[in-house]
Amino acid sequence: MTTETRSAGPRPRILILDDEPIVCKRLKPTFQKMGYEVETFTDSASALARLRETTFNIVITDLKMEGADGMQVLMGAKESSADTHVIVITGFATLDTAKESYRKGAFDFVAKPFKLGDIVDCVKRIEEKQRGSGL
Amino acid sequence: MYRLLKNLLTFRRPARHVLPFSVLFKKFQSILERNNQILEVIADMGDKLGGEYVFDRHYIEEATEKLEDLVFKLISDLSILNQHKNTELFLACEHIRQEVQKELSGKHVLNTGKFVIPLSELGHELKEQAGYKMANLGDIFNRLALSTPDGFVITSRTFLEFMQHNDLLAKAELAMGYWQTQDLAALKTLADEMQKRIFAASLPRSLTSQIFDEFDRLAERMQRRDITVALRSSASGEDGASSFAGQYETALNVSRSQLLDGYRRVVASAYTFKAWQYRLDRGYHEHETTMAVGCQIMAEGRVSGVLHTYAPHLAEGVMIANAVWGLCSPVVRGEKSTDTIVLDRTPPYTLRSLSVVDKAQRLVLASGGGTKWEDTPAELHDAPSLTPEQMHILAKAAMSIERYYKRPLEIEWTFDLQDRLQVLQARPLRYWSAPSPSEEQIGEATRNAEIVFAGKGFVAQCGVAIGEIFLVQNDADLEAFPHGAIMLARHTSPRYACIMPKARGIITDVGSPTGHMSTLAREYRVPTIVNTEVATSLLRTGDEITLDATQNTVYRGHITALDRFELIEEEVFEDSYEYRLLRRVLKHISPLNLLNPQSDDFVAASCQTCHDITRYIHEKAVEQLIHLSEKQEAQYLSAPKRLMADIPLGLLVIDAGGGTNCSPDARTLTPDQIISLPLRELLEGMIGLGMWCTEPVSVDLGSFMASLTRTFSSSMSSPREVGRNLAVVLPDYLNINLRLGYHFTIIDAYISAEMNDNYIYFRFLGGVTELIRRSRRATFIARVLAHFDFRVEIHGDLVVGRLKKLSLPRMSERMCMLGGLVGYTRQLDARMHSDKDVASHAEIFINAMNSVIGG
Repeated sequence: MTTETRSAGPRPRILILDDEPIVCKRLKPTFQKMGYEVETFTDSASALARLRETTFNIVITDLKMEGADGMQVLMGAKESSADTHVIVITGFATLDTAKESYRKGAFDFVAKPFKLGDIVDCVKRIEEKQRGSGL
Repeated sequence: MYRLLKNLLTFRRPARHVLPFSVLFKKFQSILERNNQILEVIADMGDKLGGEYVFDRHYIEEATEKLEDLVFKLISDLSILNQHKNTELFLACEHIRQEVQKELSGKHVLNTGKFVIPLSELGHELKEQAGYKMANLGDIFNRLALSTPDGFVITSRTFLEFMQHNDLLAKAELAMGYWQTQDLAALKTLADEMQKRIFAASLPRSLTSQIFDEFDRLAERMQRRDITVALRSSASGEDGASSFAGQYETALNVSRSQLLDGYRRVVASAYTFKAWQYRLDRGYHEHETTMAVGCQIMAEGRVSGVLHTYAPHLAEGVMIANAVWGLCSPVVRGEKSTDTIVLDRTPPYTLRSLSVVDKAQRLVLASGGGTKWEDTPAELHDAPSLTPEQMHILAKAAMSIERYYKRPLEIEWTFDLQDRLQVLQARPLRYWSAPSPSEEQIGEATRNAEIVFAGKGFVAQCGVAIGEIFLVQNDADLEAFPHGAIMLARHTSPRYACIMPKARGIITDVGSPTGHMSTLAREYRVPTIVNTEVATSLLRTGDEITLDATQNTVYRGHITALDRFELIEEEVFEDSYEYRLLRRVLKHISPLNLLNPQSDDFVAASCQTCHDITRYIHEKAVEQLIHLSEKQEAQYLSAPKRLMADIPLGLLVIDAGGGTNCSPDARTLTPDQIISLPLRELLEGMIGLGMWCTEPVSVDLGSFMASLTRTFSSSMSSPREVGRNLAVVLPDYLNINLRLGYHFTIIDAYISAEMNDNYIYFRFLGGVTELIRRSRRATFIARVLAHFDFRVEIHGDLVVGRLKKLSLPRMSERMCMLGGLVGYTRQLDARMHSDKDVASHAEIFINAMNSVIGG
């Protein structure tokens, strides 16, 4: 039985990008409940524009989209802030795309359909890592 | 006769190319393999309905594509095996493919759906066809087992046909132009003209005959000829951000002869100036507007009203009801002052306040149709319109419905002359002005709460539940289960279906998210976590908790912010397009209609779903293998030999080379003549151990052991229940397909001295019996298999066990055990009286086996 406490301060921010609105709709309340400020996008251009304006602690992005794809968003997020952790999600998972995501600095690569619990665990691992490094 | 003739013709066909048996047998094995893959994909798709997975449209497309591909290849395999074209199967497959494609393209609903659908077939996945309100009433009637007047819906498709038939749709499109230029005068003129034309419009005879047929069937169900109905709008868009409350017409007390006029009246109400303006103002396009019409038996209300399940403007945690004598519509229209009742949202639904007004008049049914006002008897004027008992019944029903939809609702209800609660309508409540909990608050609330456990087990159905724990250990607990509690149990069981309409949530220590109970939890949408391992050790009856089955966390205490957060969530998962699409697609995929191979319907043309085709082909493939062997239609294949055993197994053995030592021409063989090691061991378990008992055995050890030593009398079993069973053998190999009663077992095994090549694959698929017993049987088999080191998967009725790479003696023991298991399970359902029996039977069986095989 644990009671988690987190130091007060600005709430961590998470950006979710997927051209399928259902993915955004499912993920948003999940992370809100974890205490995140959540912004969702269904087109990569607006998400990239937002990333240029503000930094996010975590970015969750789909891979295959119209216009700029997930790899470009991944690089955009890393350019915006090297501390941003990026989780790549895709319905067309291949070993090559997974490898490429990691090479470009993705924290994790998740194939759709995925369990909500899986992506929550993924975010918790990021939190632990950030706590460990004193961020 | 036809079949006989066909068989004769088949027999006389000129000799065709004869393939070696090994090639044909490979096809047979490939059929079994695909059969499994198909069943697994179907089970996976079903699991996605629970909300634990995030999936999108792409997943549905990909999964159905994979299924179509597998089914197509399955039929192709059969075509090689039986050397027929199997045109009917390909056509059935193509038909299913087209139906699924129509669902995926969204066209199905309005162009090819039904014209009328009875209430008993309605549910929210038919929202597009039935309109939101009637789809909801379908859920309430069929899934929540609450009462709503019986009836049917005249669908959106009928509306479109009706409008098109009278050239009215194109006319309606003009409205957009007027609205854009804000030419309200033109819109008003158009609205008036539309009304007139709809009142005068004719319905195609094909439609009217279907509507009247359904009306007559309703009268038949009521066992009355002179029924009257209520016609209510069930339009598109009523579930969205706008409630459309009171925008559309309702026609009450309508007789058969007034039915079509009533229909026109409701449809016309979509085009009143007021309703049209409302719709356009909220950005609805004309082509999105459809008006299905609900047609339900007229409930004669003694007392009626409207209830809001959530009223934060009054107080946190209350619901509010307004009630009058007579029919409901004066409350909806706000025509008369009403009694006001405020109740707690949580059990025991305590009355917070009651205000009673003078109710001098009431609306009642008029004898010639329609309604009329009458004076209320003097003693009723100032009397409270609801009794405490009625308030309690109403509150319970309201919270069940809210729990199902995970939304605050506005519910129209009535207590009829027999004092039965009838739910007339339930729609989302969207217009309260309470502040919503901000994201900050919600994060705060959950961060500071005590977590009892988190991330344990599997989510079977997502959602949030707040309430008191109630531990269920036996049937008496089930009966005593209080409305609105959260059920805690050690194991999952489909017997808990009886408390699902009452339970706010379910937590178990043990269980699988693909088991029967999880399927039921999804059907009833009860937030459920199974297999937590620790729940019963950490929680006890009376504990107040908050179960967040979306986040897979249990908090101590009531976190109302979380409840509120859930209630105002932008979109409930089950309302999402993808969820409803998956449900609709699955209707063409997973139901099994071909149940009995002996029935006349067991033909290719009757296959309606992928599951049907799969089931049919399996049966035919086994038959074909027997046929090939009997007719010597494959190279290097001896005739099938009937096993002469002490039990009526109906087993034909095909020796593919060295599996038996009898003469190639012999038509029978005895167990001694079997060389094949896996078959020998299997039969030893089945016959030698006496596990094939036909009399139901009670679970006490004594009688069980007695049955083990009893010799079997073949007259005790009806041969009809035994199918044509088939085994294909080599010295170290066995493939056996058994249909015993309605159970199917497939075993594929290779057992040799080379340990690394050894494997046993066991598959059991249950048949027609009630869900609870089927589930117990599956659990029993899974437990036994797991005990003997099998890797086990359960998907509903399907139990698959795999075992690999054990030494020859250990493999042999396990084959023997499987023989015992098959024999023992054959009639087990009848003996599975309670969930406890599962454990006892498993224990008894395992002990008996251990004592025999020394495992």
